[in-house]
Parts: sequence; C-alpha cells; structure tokens
Amino acid sequence: MLKIENLHASVEGKQILKGINLEVKAGEVHAIMGPNGSGKSTLASVLAGREEYEVTEGSVTFLNDDLLELAPEERAHAGIFLAFQYPIEIPGVSTTNFLKTAVNQTREARGLKAFDAVSFLKEMKEKMKLVDIDQALLSRALNEGFSGGEKKRNEIFQMAMLEPKLSILDETDSGLDIDALKIVADGVNKLKGPDNASIVVTHYQRLLDYIVPDFVHVLYKGRIVKSGDKTLALELEEKGYDWIKEEVAAL
Amino acid sequence: MSEVLTLEDQLLADFDGWLDQHYADASSLKAIKKAGAETFKSLGLPQRKSEAYKYTPITKTIEKNFDIETVENASTLTKSDCEAKFYNEEDANHLVFINGIFVDDYSKIVSGSSDLTIRVLDEQSINEHPELKDNLGKVNGSQIDPFAALNLAYFNQGVFIKSAKNADNKNTYIYQFLDASASQAVIFPRVFVYGSTGSRTRVYEKTFFNGDNNTLNISIVESMVEANAEVRFTKLQNYETNSYAVEGIYAHQAKDSRFYTNTFSFEGAVIRNNVYINIDAENCEGHMNGLYQLSGKSHVDNNTSVDHLKPHSYSNELYKGILDDHSRGVFNGKIYVRPDAQKTNAFQSNNNILLSDDATINTKPQLEIWADDVQCSHGCTTGQLDEDAIFYLQARGVNKPQAKALLLNAFANEALNELQNDLMKEEIEEIILNKLK
Repeated sequence: MLKIENLHASVEGKQILKGINLEVKAGEVHAIMGPNGSGKSTLASVLAGREEYEVTEGSVTFLNDDLLELAPEERAHAGIFLAFQYPIEIPGVSTTNFLKTAVNQTREARGLKAFDAVSFLKEMKEKMKLVDIDQALLSRALNEGFSGGEKKRNEIFQMAMLEPKLSILDETDSGLDIDALKIVADGVNKLKGPDNASIVVTHYQRLLDYIVPDFVHVLYKGRIVKSGDKTLALELEEKGYDWIKEEVAAL
Repeated sequence: MSEVLTLEDQLLADFDGWLDQHYADASSLKAIKKAGAETFKSLGLPQRKSEAYKYTPITKTIEKNFDIETVENASTLTKSDCEAKFYNEEDANHLVFINGIFVDDYSKIVSGSSDLTIRVLDEQSINEHPELKDNLGKVNGSQIDPFAALNLAYFNQGVFIKSAKNADNKNTYIYQFLDASASQAVIFPRVFVYGSTGSRTRVYEKTFFNGDNNTLNISIVESMVEANAEVRFTKLQNYETNSYAVEGIYAHQAKDSRFYTNTFSFEGAVIRNNVYINIDAENCEGHMNGLYQLSGKSHVDNNTSVDHLKPHSYSNELYKGILDDHSRGVFNGKIYVRPDAQKTNAFQSNNNILLSDDATINTKPQLEIWADDVQCSHGCTTGQLDEDAIFYLQARGVNKPQAKALLLNAFANEALNELQNDLMKEEIEEIILNKLK
C-alpha cells in the first residue's frame, strides 16, 4: 500500500529525515517510536504533504501513485489521513459544516456521489456512535475551546467519516488521560479492517497496549534504526531509548 | 486671464438658479437649503491636511474624476426596471430612488399610515411634521461635515420615514438606482428616519448601477430614535470600480432606545462612510457593524463615532475587512465618554485579513474618556490567513481555495450577526463566497 524509499526531508534547510525505508501493507499496523527530535512528526507531516517540509531525496508510492506529487487534499482523497498531534482550532467553522465539505469533496474525488443533507446526517450519526462523540461538540467551532481529549476524539471521528486507507496517528496519545486514551484507541480499532492500514507515531508504549501493532520501528536521527514486533515496544518501555542510542553510536 | 474655479465654486455655480427654480421664496425648505449652501461654503471641502479625511483625499479624487459642469443626472429607467430589482418580500415597503430623487410612483408601500408614514421629503411634509422641520440637517452635528452640508443644499425629494408610537413596522427597502448612462451622475439622496416612542423601524438600502460613466453618491441618512424605540439601518454597498461616494449616517438616541447600523461594502473606487451616533440619554444601546471585502484598487474608508453623553449606556462596534490585490481599507473609530456618562460600556474592534502583499489597511481606534467609572475596550488586528488552519482543512480533503473560503467566510460572518434580515443575509453570504472564488 505504502512504500517509502530512502526518504530525505528538510525544513528550513535543516535535514531531519536521512533515508527512511518503510513498507506498509493492507491490514497492518505499524508503530513508529523514538526519542524526541528523532523525526517522527516530520515523517507524518511529509506523508500528509505539509509545504514547509522539502523532500530532498527518495520516493514515496501510495497505491502505485507517486504520493509526493500530490497536494495535501489529493492525498486525503487518495486515502491518507493524518490525525494531528495538535489539532488546529478554527473559530467560526463548525465541525459539521467543514466535514460536509471535506467528505463530499473526498467522495467526489473517489467517484462516489456527494451526500445530500439527509444522508450526511445519517452517516454522521452512525460514526458518532462509533467514537462516542457528542452532537453538541460537533456543532461548535472546530476544536475551539475543546479539551485535549475532545480534540483527539474529534480527530478520530473525522477519520471515521473520511474512511481512509492509511491512517497516520501523530502522537495521538499526548495529553490524554487513560480513559480518553481507551476511547480513542477503541475508535481506531473499530475502524481497522483488512483493506486499511495504520501508522501509529508515539513516544510511549502505553498507547500500544490498546492499539496493538504488527510492527514496531525505532526512529532515531532521521533513520529507522531498529524494527521488530510488539515486544520491541515493551523492551523500549523497560529500558528507555539509551541502549538504542548506544547501539547506533557503536556502528 | 481667467480665474481657475475651485471645486466648491463649481459645485455651487448653478445653485441659486436651481434653488429659485425648485423652491418658492417663502418656503421653509428654501431657507434650510440656503443655509446648507452657506455652511458648505464656510466649511469648504477637505484639503490635503484634513485629519478627518487623512487617508481618503476625497477632494482631489472628485476633481480628477468628475466634470461637474456636464452632469445631467438623466435617467431612462422605468418602473418595471426598478421593480425587477426588488427583494422578493411581498409584505414589505419598497422605495425607489433614481439618481438621488425619491420616486413615489415607482415605490410600493404596504404599511398602513397609522403605523408608518412614508412621504416625499418636501415642503409639504416638512410643514406637516414639526419633528422633521425642527431636526432636518441638524441631527447629531450633521451640519459639520461639508458633504452633509452640500447634500442639505442639493437634495431634492428625499424620503421621510416615520414609525408611529409603539408600531412594530415591516421591513422597508430603499433601492438607490444610479443611472450614469447619459453622463456622469452626481447625486444627493437624503433619508430621514423618525422612530417615535416605543416603535421599531427597519430599513435596508441597496445600490444599483446603470451606465458606464462615473457616479458620485453624496448621501445622508438622519435618524431620531425616541424613547424606547429601535431603528435599524443597513446598507449594502455593492459598488463598481467607477463609483465614488461619501455617505453619512447621523443618529440621535433618546432614553432606552436602540440603534443599529450595518454597512457592507464590496468594491468602489473611493467610498467614504461617516457613521456617527449620539447617545444623549441613559440606558441606550448603539451598535455599528461593518464588513468591507475589497479587491482590485477599491478604497473604502469607514469613519465612525459614538458619543456617550449620559450614564448607563452601551455601545458596540465591530468592523471586519478582507483586502485583496491593491485595495485599501481605512477604519477610524472614535468613542467619546463625556464626564456625565458614568457606567458606560463601550466596545470596539476592527479586524482585518490581508490577502495580498499590495493591500493596505489604515486603522485607528480613538478613545476619549472623561468619566472614571466606565468599561471601554478597543482592539484592532491585521493579519494573513492562518497557514496551519489551511493545511489542516486540506489534510481532511478540502481543496485550498475552498479551505480559504471557509476560513474567510467564518471571519466575515461575525460582522453579519446583527443583520436580522435573512434575504439580505443570504445575498451577502453569496457575494462573500463568490468574491472568494
């Protein structure tokens, strides 16, 4: 589904990603872990198409298309979803209102008929149940004054509405208490299927108790330095990142 | 050697002859209009150093773009031409002005005269209505601006709108047709709105254009809002690239009254709006809202003032601007809180988004407060669209133009909050969105 080869990216002239290789197949959950500043969020942003990041080398193919050629909205239409670490607050635009535009533009790009008002509301009701989100929240201005948990739940709700093929969850666990974490993870798990895949970017192992990964990769200094199964995450939790740093230094 | 005529001279060159032709010597209006011309002469047009017109060199602009001598103000518009532009609201009053003159025959009035008086503002109505005669040209210092004085001298058949005591009146629409098909048009529409005690009056004005020559609209609205009355006056200025205007709204509020103005400006070569509210009693509310969304070389200047003379009143002002291309917006908001006006709450804000490096905004809040127990605030912001917000929306599948439109629409919408007219609101929302495309 996704194939990243030798990806290099920089921001404001500073090289952050220095040769990432990663392949994600349908049905898989990949966790990307690593210490602060290792390039985890940069990788997520580059995949979503953030303009500030310049890809200097390498390629990314998504469902046989050159992902790097696509505008952010075209990536979304193709099936990429980025759940933001810090969802943006947008005054004056309600989630419902904006999501109708987003969902319908996405549907049209995928060759589906745009929802009319009635079928959109029906769809919303179903997905709201899935992530246990309140109608009142969706009528309010997007993320404005939302608690950390509400923002993340809203991200997962939008993910449910947009039905992506590849979800990238960027530090979705940051700022969440354990109850909110469970609800968010529960939503992600319900949306999991044989045809879609997830990349879970996280600093802590905690989230991976709830979203169980098939693969765990450790990102350090812009490269994937170690890959394994979920036991790698447990090992990191127990020993911290220092032993990885030492291993890399020894090379 | 021939003397070069000043613009003031040119504007008044035919005044005496015109006045004699239209008004009998003994008429009240003739005296009022003569006084208007005298005031205009003594004030003179704003010159380069005028503080009030600092960012809008209006006199030079008129000199450059108008040939006063050739102006005819002729129009071929028919009744059905005008009716075709009416809002689709049967149960409302529709008033037609053509080149500044109220055309009774083309208008459609449904309100009963026991609720709402709508009359040609002429000698007869002046003599029948002392509240008009006593205040015409005097509401809230409307004689101190040269354009207001010039309008007083030259207006011909304005409209007088009076809500009867305690009448809650239907909507009244005013359609200003500017017909510049034969020559340039220089027009002087005048509206006087009188809200009797306990009444409600809602007036919505919109401009239309015919012909390609330059137009200059020197328009005055005066409004007296009596005790516990409410007057709402909204302007939709959908000007063209060769439209010039100086428009004034002057309001005076008695106790427990409410006055609302909304000014929505879309384009215009040089448009100046003067909105001045006098709160001369306790427990009043004064609201001024505006939106200017400009592109090309449009220039819109909103000059506003609210004067709190008595305690326990409230005023709120919100102007929002979206400026693209080489357009320029000017905002000046004055709040006066006089020594007696304790417990005043006065708020003002002006927010702008610049969409281009060549767009300009000059914004100046001005608070003068003599009372010590008051709550006043003002703020102005100018910025660009939030790139993070655009990316967030894009990442959810909204294309970039639509993402910008969503954000700008949300920004602009706040300025529509006080507009209680769904027909006009929908129209304005559509204009906003179309301009964002």
